[in-house]
Amino acid sequence: MRRFLVSLTLICLLVTPAFAAKVKIGFVNSMTGPEAPIGENLTNGVTLALEDLKKKGIDVDLIKEDDTGKPEKSMAAFEKMATRDKVAGVVGPYSSKCANAIAKLSEKYKIPLLIPVASKDEITKQNLKWVFRLSATTYDYATILLDMATSLGKPKTMAIINENTDFGTSGAKSANLYAAKKGITIVAEESYAPGSPDYRSTLASIKSKNPDLVFMVSYVADSILLMRQSREIGLSPQAFLGAGAGFATQAFAKEQDISNNIFSSTQWTGDVNWPGAKDFAARYRTRFGKEPTYHAATAYESMMIMGQTASQAKSDPKRTRDLLKSGKWNGIMGEVKFLDYLGYTNQNRHQMLVEQIQGGVHETIYPPKYVSKKPVYPFPGWTK
Amino acid sequence: MEIFFQSLISGILIGGVYALIGIGLTIIFGVMRVINFAHGELLMLGMYATYFLHAVFHIDPFVSIVITIPLMFLYGAILQKIFINRILDALPQNQILLTIGLGLIMSNAVMLAFTSDYKILTTTYSSSSVTLFGISLSTPLMISFAITAVITAALYWFLLKTDTGQAIRATAQDREAARLMGINVKRMSIIAFGLGSALAATAGALISPTYYIFPQVGSAFTLKAFVITVLGGMGSVVGATLGGVLIGVAESTGGVYFGSGWKEVVVFVLFLLVLLFKPAGLFGKSRT
Repeated sequence: MRRFLVSLTLICLLVTPAFAAKVKIGFVNSMTGPEAPIGENLTNGVTLALEDLKKKGIDVDLIKEDDTGKPEKSMAAFEKMATRDKVAGVVGPYSSKCANAIAKLSEKYKIPLLIPVASKDEITKQNLKWVFRLSATTYDYATILLDMATSLGKPKTMAIINENTDFGTSGAKSANLYAAKKGITIVAEESYAPGSPDYRSTLASIKSKNPDLVFMVSYVADSILLMRQSREIGLSPQAFLGAGAGFATQAFAKEQDISNNIFSSTQWTGDVNWPGAKDFAARYRTRFGKEPTYHAATAYESMMIMGQTASQAKSDPKRTRDLLKSGKWNGIMGEVKFLDYLGYTNQNRHQMLVEQIQGGVHETIYPPKYVSKKPVYPFPGWTK
Repeated sequence: MEIFFQSLISGILIGGVYALIGIGLTIIFGVMRVINFAHGELLMLGMYATYFLHAVFHIDPFVSIVITIPLMFLYGAILQKIFINRILDALPQNQILLTIGLGLIMSNAVMLAFTSDYKILTTTYSSSSVTLFGISLSTPLMISFAITAVITAALYWFLLKTDTGQAIRATAQDREAARLMGINVKRMSIIAFGLGSALAATAGALISPTYYIFPQVGSAFTLKAFVITVLGGMGSVVGATLGGVLIGVAESTGGVYFGSGWKEVVVFVLFLLVLLFKPAGLFGKSRT
């Protein structure tokens, strides 16, 4: 009798998962470490996506891994997910250095990787068949900002300041390339190691070259530091162009003394007219008590796409990849389709936006189709 | 030329704060021959104390050092009594492991309590400056430099003129001889560690209005403090003061003339050169 009961329980245990039809999806993110404040947005976006997937009858078994912002940690996380957890696909990681590190692993283990927001241009330029990217690339960051600046004024010269990480270097390179196309001369190019308390001397030497535009690529806290010290030094070009990341955060916008009239490229805003974007923003605000950043939106949409696709593919990684490749979506990030073009593989051709901080709030100011406020150009100078 | 003076002056101003970090480390090393690898974490604790005093009680960060200094002195003294004191005669690598461990516990405890979010302390003068002969001087940096100068002067007076200060110096010179002369060496060690952590915390408080605060901020400063101390000569207060300013200026001018990506290289090449020609550091006495 006892043996019968035991075997019955065992059978039940073995059978149940098949009935529940859960999809196992991996999620690598910077939950702690220096990029954690941005990572938090991705986690929140994924949380909302899981709720919405549940409403659609898709139960996701999420395997979360923290990469602490270090490439080697995200690689270990990916290997664990691919070999031990046997996930159908992976969403993440946040930063470019981590995403770039695990892109090749996804090819090796044949597990599709959907990168929500890491923008280093080269990631999708390596002909990797298992890697997909939802967000636009650093090249798009530079193009949209310079297009905006040249449509509003006639800048002739530009200085570039960037963090010496994958994202920063790639951003600076793209800005360099596109500026040449637009006939803008680069008068100074400074890459810095993040975390130094003093950028004054660098900013002073940039000021002496008197550039029309200052293009900056930085993460959270350095963006505030750079702008504070720019104000101290009195660096006052026609426009400060921030390439997303730190400049798109709420923490930056709140520092009104230094953030007003700064431009930032972004993948998404809460007031854009893509289907469900405004609802998502409202829901996010009531749920987490903060403004959603573009990181949250990209993570949400990536998880929605991965969840639906993996469930459709019955958790088979190979089929998931094929469905990602052939599929088409239209959600809070606008239309999504993974294309091969201009040397990119599986890259979504995403429309970037430009925001400007006005009165401590990010307002969409470019392209004209999506405008919520009139841009202030040129930079009116620092208030004493 | 303007840029040269600009970078020179920002270098000196920031170097003052570096000096404070270095002096703390060098006093601890001098008295106990222990390299405190938790020094950056003590600085981080000082930053958090300043941040919360500002956020909760609205105390200006520069005024709040009146509270932070005694608080962190006490904390350092307790650390010494409970932990450091037990390993004074242990192998150097064990001493290093202990202090690194203490540092890890501190930074992770803070992360657990306050998350790894960046805290930004904004005051009305956080980004204000005064322009003099075309050179802009950061107001918060000038205030912090002035405070650093006062504290360093007070410290020199304490070490040179008071009985306790002389006893600390005697202990640093020769622990055994000091003990034979009737100096309470154990008490001197406690005071030295308390002083060291109070100085680190003060440095943390002074840079809070212009920098950002997060649990892992310490490690970068531990390395900096170590370089400053070795550069100036291990255990030499004068050396650490000068070393701090030197590193500040090297970073700042290096950033201008070699590009900001190279400033660390400039600092470490300078460091290597000093070690090459003066292995004991600028003011160090070689202990052979």
